Amino acid sequence: MKKSQLVPLDPYRWEIPRTFRKDMRVPAWVFALEEVLDDVLADRSLDQLVNVATLPGIVKASMVMPDVHEGYGFPIGGVAATAYPHGVISPGGIGYDINCGVRLMVSDLRYEDVKDKMEALSGELFRQVPSGIGKGGQIVLSPKEMDAVLTGGAAWAVENGKGFKEDLEHIESHGCLTEADPSMVSERAKQRGRDQLGTIGAGNHFVEVDVVDELFHTDACEAFGLQKGQLVILIHTGSRGLGHQVATDYIRLMVNVMQNYGIQLPDRELACVPFNSGEGQSYFKAMCAAANFAWCNREVVSWEVRKAWKSVFGKGVTPPRLLYDVAHNIAKIESYGMNGKEQKVIVHRKGATRAYGPGYHELPEAFRHIGQPVLIPGSMGTESYVLVGTQKSRELSFGSCCHGAGRRMSRRAAKRQVDAPGLQRKLRERGIFLTAGSFKGIAEEAPIAYKNVNLVVETVHRAGIALKVAKLKPVSVIKG
Amino acid sequence: MKNIEILPHTADIRIKVEGTSLEELFRAGASAIAGILSPGFQRDSGETEVIHDIDFNSANATSLFVDFLSEVLTLSYVEKSIFYRLEFRELTERSVSATVHGQVVNGFDEDIKAVTYHEADVRLNESGRWETVFIIDI
Repeated sequence: MKKSQLVPLDPYRWEIPRTFRKDMRVPAWVFALEEVLDDVLADRSLDQLVNVATLPGIVKASMVMPDVHEGYGFPIGGVAATAYPHGVISPGGIGYDINCGVRLMVSDLRYEDVKDKMEALSGELFRQVPSGIGKGGQIVLSPKEMDAVLTGGAAWAVENGKGFKEDLEHIESHGCLTEADPSMVSERAKQRGRDQLGTIGAGNHFVEVDVVDELFHTDACEAFGLQKGQLVILIHTGSRGLGHQVATDYIRLMVNVMQNYGIQLPDRELACVPFNSGEGQSYFKAMCAAANFAWCNREVVSWEVRKAWKSVFGKGVTPPRLLYDVAHNIAKIESYGMNGKEQKVIVHRKGATRAYGPGYHELPEAFRHIGQPVLIPGSMGTESYVLVGTQKSRELSFGSCCHGAGRRMSRRAAKRQVDAPGLQRKLRERGIFLTAGSFKGIAEEAPIAYKNVNLVVETVHRAGIALKVAKLKPVSVIKG
Repeated sequence: MKNIEILPHTADIRIKVEGTSLEELFRAGASAIAGILSPGFQRDSGETEVIHDIDFNSANATSLFVDFLSEVLTLSYVEKSIFYRLEFRELTERSVSATVHGQVVNGFDEDIKAVTYHEADVRLNESGRWETVFIIDI
């Protein structure tokens, strides 16, 4: 794809017209400032975006956010909505890490008052939060408990003394999709997840302690309880092996049955079936169950973080409270105004964050008048952002915005270019403790491998689909 | 001739595998997975061995290849093992019947989320060798 093939719609949005390829059912939109576009065009993301525009039942446009990068079917950083109930649901449009997401916990400690304890905190977080690959956590679920997690989501952790009741209101969908049906999840998926609650895994997953560095939106900061100099904690993980297996099982099923529905696609990995078909409903119920597992996982990781907090700062310290938890790999049934009427759609977010504006009934009362917190982690060593959703996101992008900085360099290239021990040392000199399971993991996730998060966030801010609230600066990063 | 080649990809791993037969192609795919999960894996006679049978059909050779590697990957995670030996009883373009031998390991070096169908296309190339590219999500 070349820049000349993109039609500018406004300073932050570009269109690939429906006429670009015969099989497109809708146009494709790219949310990106011109400065970001070169990175966006550097890989095959936009070819994949055009493929998504061919999905049966897709409405309005297939979209990517400025943090887009090439995936394996759908691009990462994508949003696609299909008509409810006969439009398709595509597991590839959610991804293998179902309900991978981010949460932000807020403490009442100021960095300046406790900065001499950051090294101890890093060590304690690394001890308390199991990370790495193929290793289990502290909890091993019985089959009955597994079904309870898949049905109840984050509430299971609360009911079992591993979470706070008040957290639930501060989680997208209150940490539970009621359509979940554990019987639609294979025994193998359950087997893979049985010892993974409370673990972050590897790759780009992390627990990170940040200091609130800059405030942009006074009213939102007040509503969210954010103050300059305050310590906060970001957690990024998902449904672990359980979610990976659910996606694997259902993509395999759909590759085999989609022809029964007359569906032909340019890429098998886009495999899909009508939402209201038997297979579509089975997948949706299994996906909801995996999403619940992920919310429970992040709640248990928060419990581990709170244990580390208490261990380092003393029993009298107030445990960090949950500000918000958002999914960025998920499908939801939502309603939007289109063609003069409200229409239900199946919104696929793959590397995209829900960004609802003020007034949404699900939001906690403390910030319902302001809008939903949107959490955008950068790469380790660079800034992360708290934003707030807007009404405009509902009008433009199916209530969605970006989810991170977005990769720009392959893991292999990063490993070749980055001296991991040197990077760890340099970050330490800048006041950032980096604790990781391997040097390989550090090199692959080095800031150089990611786009400039400031430009990504600037795009969505100027587009008005989410507004900047606060900038966070990392002081301790824990990786698998 | 090299049977496994790693190609560029922004976030995941794109792999090209080749073989003189379907068996060799499938072995190369499974070997690539094992090499990513645990580079430099060496059998240790003191560790627990695991054996599984894999028998299924798929719509075509490409689906069979991806589904087979997905099966090996799932078994790797369920058994926390590296599968180092494959014995094929039957392998056609639509059907596989095999026994896989693995050994329990203490964790993996890489987290492979899935073997994807994206870009996969099992075919005989101009040199008469079986080949395909495939992408694993990490």
